[in-house]
Amino acid sequence: MAAWDLSITVEDLGPDAEPITISVTSDLHVGGVMARLVEKTQITRDWSDRALWWEQKQQWLLRTSWTLEKYGIHADARLLFTPQHKPLKLGLPNGITLKLLASFSSPVFSSVIGICKMLNIRRPEELSLLRPVEEKKKKKKDKDLTEEIYDLTEVPLTSGSRPCLYNGMPAHFADSPKMEAIYKMLSVTQPPPAPEVLAKQYRPSSVVDKAHINGRWLDSSRCLMQQGIQENDRLWLRFKYYTFYDIEPKYDVVRLTQLYEQARWAILLEDIDCTEEEMMLFGALQYHISKVSLSEPQMQISSPAMEDLELALQCLEVKMEGKSSSASELLENITAPELNDYLKIFRPKKLTLTPYKQYWFKFQDMVISSFKSKEESSGEPIQQINLKGCEVAPDVSLASQKFIIKLRIPAPEGMNEVHLRCENEQQYAQWMAACRLASKGKTLADSSFQSEIQSIHTFLAMQKTNSGTNSSAAAGDESINAYSLVSPRYHKKNKAKQLTPLILDACRNVAELSLTDAMLRFVQMWQALPDFGLSYVVVRFKGSRKDEVLGIAPNRLIRIDLGVGDVVQTWRYNNMKQWNVNWDIRQMAIEFEGNINIAFSCVTADCKIVHEFIGGYIFMSTRSREKSDTLNEDLFRKLTGGHEVH
Amino acid sequence: MDDLDAMFSDLLGEMDLLTQSLEQESASLPTTSTKKKKKEEEEEEEEEANFSIGFTDLNESLLELEDNDLDALMADLVADLSATEEKLAAEIEGLKVPSPTPLPSGLPAPPPKVLTSSSSDSPASPASSSFHTPTSSITSPLPPPPPQATKPTKEEIEAQLKADKIKLALEKLKEAKVKKLVVKVLMNDGSSKTLMVDERQTVREVLDNLFEKTHCDCSVAWSLFETNPELQLERSFEDHENLVEPLLAWTRDTENQILFKEWKQKYEVFKNPQTFYLWKKDKKTLKDINNKDKEILVQENFCGSSIIVPDLEGVLYLKEDGKKHWKQRLFQLRASGIYYVPKGKTKSSRDLICFLQLDNVNIYYGSDFKSKHKAPTDFCFVLKHPQIQKDSQYIKYLCCDDITSLNLWVTGIRIAKYGATLYNNFKAAEKKAVVDAAWTNRCTPSSSEQSTPSPTVKAKSLNQANGHATTIQNEPESKDFGNIPPPPPLLSSSSNILPPPPPDPAFPPPPPPDPAFPPPPPPDSAFHPPPPPAMDLPPPPPPPPEEDSIDAPPNFLPPPPPAVGSMLPPPPLSPYSGRSLPPPPPPSCFKGFNQSLPPPPPDPGFLPPPPPPQPLMTAGGVPPPPPPPPPPPPPAAASPTAAPRPSLRPVGSVKKMPPAPPKRTTPTLGGGGGGGGGDGGDLMSELMLAMQKKRGNN
Repeated sequence: MAAWDLSITVEDLGPDAEPITISVTSDLHVGGVMARLVEKTQITRDWSDRALWWEQKQQWLLRTSWTLEKYGIHADARLLFTPQHKPLKLGLPNGITLKLLASFSSPVFSSVIGICKMLNIRRPEELSLLRPVEEKKKKKKDKDLTEEIYDLTEVPLTSGSRPCLYNGMPAHFADSPKMEAIYKMLSVTQPPPAPEVLAKQYRPSSVVDKAHINGRWLDSSRCLMQQGIQENDRLWLRFKYYTFYDIEPKYDVVRLTQLYEQARWAILLEDIDCTEEEMMLFGALQYHISKVSLSEPQMQISSPAMEDLELALQCLEVKMEGKSSSASELLENITAPELNDYLKIFRPKKLTLTPYKQYWFKFQDMVISSFKSKEESSGEPIQQINLKGCEVAPDVSLASQKFIIKLRIPAPEGMNEVHLRCENEQQYAQWMAACRLASKGKTLADSSFQSEIQSIHTFLAMQKTNSGTNSSAAAGDESINAYSLVSPRYHKKNKAKQLTPLILDACRNVAELSLTDAMLRFVQMWQALPDFGLSYVVVRFKGSRKDEVLGIAPNRLIRIDLGVGDVVQTWRYNNMKQWNVNWDIRQMAIEFEGNINIAFSCVTADCKIVHEFIGGYIFMSTRSREKSDTLNEDLFRKLTGGHEVH
Repeated sequence: MDDLDAMFSDLLGEMDLLTQSLEQESASLPTTSTKKKKKEEEEEEEEEANFSIGFTDLNESLLELEDNDLDALMADLVADLSATEEKLAAEIEGLKVPSPTPLPSGLPAPPPKVLTSSSSDSPASPASSSFHTPTSSITSPLPPPPPQATKPTKEEIEAQLKADKIKLALEKLKEAKVKKLVVKVLMNDGSSKTLMVDERQTVREVLDNLFEKTHCDCSVAWSLFETNPELQLERSFEDHENLVEPLLAWTRDTENQILFKEWKQKYEVFKNPQTFYLWKKDKKTLKDINNKDKEILVQENFCGSSIIVPDLEGVLYLKEDGKKHWKQRLFQLRASGIYYVPKGKTKSSRDLICFLQLDNVNIYYGSDFKSKHKAPTDFCFVLKHPQIQKDSQYIKYLCCDDITSLNLWVTGIRIAKYGATLYNNFKAAEKKAVVDAAWTNRCTPSSSEQSTPSPTVKAKSLNQANGHATTIQNEPESKDFGNIPPPPPLLSSSSNILPPPPPDPAFPPPPPPDPAFPPPPPPDSAFHPPPPPAMDLPPPPPPPPEEDSIDAPPNFLPPPPPAVGSMLPPPPLSPYSGRSLPPPPPPSCFKGFNQSLPPPPPDPGFLPPPPPPQPLMTAGGVPPPPPPPPPPPPPAAASPTAAPRPSLRPVGSVKKMPPAPPKRTTPTLGGGGGGGGGDGGDLMSELMLAMQKKRGNN
């Protein structure tokens, strides 16, 4: 067979190096080509990750046993001998950017699996990569100055199924303090963003705006190189399919943290709508999470041995509590802490104009007793209020030194409203905390009393910084701007000092959650929003002349009329008989049971993306606990692949 | 604490003794048919509840109930007694010694049951408050007896001490603050059942309890409803709720009631999820939906990491605060609460106004609001804080167009409020229903009657079967005893012994009971409950005063003591021997006991009776007097006894009994306390009178 010359650019020789020419025959297989090439460079090094990339065809020559003839390669082919794994700047849901090596030669689906393995994120099939929203040039400059990129390119490429864990993190993070710090970035929530940052971020203002982001998803059945991604390009890693399977906080530290961050930003940037009450609760949870993550920096990083120890300690604690409860309960009750002080009381229900009256109050168990004076406090109280099950609301203004606790106490006849006015911050924090606990059926002896007081102080401090002129820096880490916790829409609607009590009020139900539970709660609340899980695409239905929006949810498709803004139709996947893509005219056709057929073309995203979403969700629904640990990549590819695969 | 613990273990030990003896007694009861036993047991179960002192508000109804139950119980017992007595009489005639033997066999049967119920209750109650399973442990079986007979004075003192300690322990337990209520539950058929509920019990447990008592199918639809006639509201408690807490919100003069009925909507959402989650679809699609799709819907909405609330949205009428107007508003249900769309705004989330968050309110059905509140329709629901019992501006009244919409909203709100708990409740209820169905299937073939449905019942039936076998064996034995004085001798011996010493006399009567209730002495506390049985045994009247425990046996005892007394003087030893004897018979009783016992556990509530303890204490003082009575019984002997029973039957006496029961229970609680309260004494004396009359006639 005739030999001919094939010139190949070897990337490792530098950008300016001339291509190396080797003499080949058409029946030489690709492996042989590479062997000769390496030989010719006369460089000894590890070439194992290198492969040939055929530029004209935008194709990797990964089958080393195929001959050049079989690949159809002739002398005019421009071949590049280049590493399959290349560095990528990866933006995570929590906003930090990593630099890591990703596979540029395998389908994106597999690349993501590799990335997730490195980052210790389980269930990689739920995530994918997308092209970031371009920032305006000005901003980009600013950002480049400030943005820190955490380098993970040193991490060896593992081939094992799961990285072994060391101290609860993959071994490669335990190599150096620097790596450990990076792992912490992944597994600890970020502090709330500065309000200015938040305000500057792009927020979609309509469903159509929200649809645009979905045009940016990479095709998961093709590789990065094929999609024009180059070394050191920037991509985002995000949860794409909103079915978070089998979240296990013990193993899912990074996954849960990133999920929380994605949810948080979705809320803050109004990617998903919620009501004001919900927003306040989201704000309260963020506040609580940021507070707790500061106070327990060594969060979940624990080895199995440590877990055992912890478990044992817990058991011990339970036992001791159990023992003491019977015996010492009496004692405890006798010595139960109480609050005693002069407060002013006011009953708004009576239509009189009686001002606040001062009494001596005693708070014990869950009951407030009032006496005429301190001296008479040993006698019969004038009145007793049992706070169990009552509603507690603050009415506080630091500027006017107003510290009022509003109580609504349920009684057979209705709610009795009582306002207690405290003299100062200290007194208010204590009594407010006591009322909060009592309303939940807990006494002052409860362990959460002190933390409750603390959180009230913190919120008062917040109010100070918000209301004061910008001399707030002194407040330190503890102070958080209420504007950082809610979406910018509420910045206009409420002044910060109005916002603070609202968030504080919402906080009462979450104040005792652990960091993990709080994050889980946040994610659950997010999932419970009516519009959760919808990915929008602007489409044009067959026979229709106007653009409409298709919402793709984990279990259904919805059709939204842009004129009305309402859902006009819903189709559930489990009624779906088949779906087809006509790749030539880029149209999707779906058939549902009952002879329902729909067809549409996609406007804001390639129909491959829509096809992949639907196939992906169907794939997600096939996951079950039994086969939980093995990911059926083939099935995913079949469901999402498109024409290249069929 | 140590003290307390020690007291407790003592108490437990005594209870064990009691149960053992009871078992034996029951075993020795050959005559009673299983059927009867069953009946009795059932009644006993109910009685237990009745015994306990109820909620003040419920007291009246309770008392009524008790009357009914007691009447039935008494009738049964009396029948049994007369049967056994006749037997005994026959045997006794053959024997020189009155009939220690016959008595044990015959008497134990009826009293034991009663006693068991009561005694078991009492022990169970204290135990339950602090520990869950007191009855089963067999710590110190014998210890109790010693205090009783042998050395009267010393023993008495010890007993007194013990009683004091127990009382103390009970008081401390009481301080543990476990609240218990006696609750009257109205059934579908207009009848009612009374239950003891403690604050740790969930509605699910109470329902299970009711399943056992009613032998209904255990479908998941069964619910406990709370009604508020004043507001014309009702709502079903959710299975996970603790029953006591909402009941505590009722006012003293409340007319609220608890109903036990089927509520199809309870778990409808898990059976036909499409109705709620696809409510926008047309009816035909919903109807045609297949089971697999239903399953998928349940999975999607309840088995994910977050519970999905149906996206309800619709126009409802809202009654304006304090006015009679009903205003239409577009409402939306979200996981975070109920919202409405303000006038002139869009349905966008950000514009919604929060109408209500669900943390602090419960949802109720309103009935006949058309006339009460001039509502547009009668499909109304209400949201209010559970504490609110009267009309108030804080109650939110809402009205739907039709029943479908009403069911949608009520269920939707429940899902939003209870989330995954609701699904877990359903699964638990379903499990129960399946198990139950299985049981019924298995049980039906067997001869056992109604009881089959619940597993516990099964246990009972099994026990009974065993009981039969044992009883048969026992019967011969007992007969032998009858023929062969030995057993009686023991008893008699004890009685003999007792008679000699003055205090003993009082105790002697107990010996007869011993056969039935060997543990009596320590059991005193436990025995107190028995007093009721004593009632059954009118003859004993004299003994009752002496010792509650004795009460039951007294009837029989009286006869034996005379004979025994004369026959066997051996004082100290006898008591023990007597005790030892009793055990044998118990086996059968025990089974009976077990059956009766199972129910009690659920009603740890028995503790409440503690108040009675005081009576007991006083009773302690009383006991001495009883001794004298023993003598009277002797004359009656076996033959008279038969006659007296009939006298007992008189309904009148029975009726009186009802009031007494509570007191008895209290004594039990007292545990340490002396004989039954004054009431018990009165009853006993009445019974005695009756018996004497009869005897006189004879």
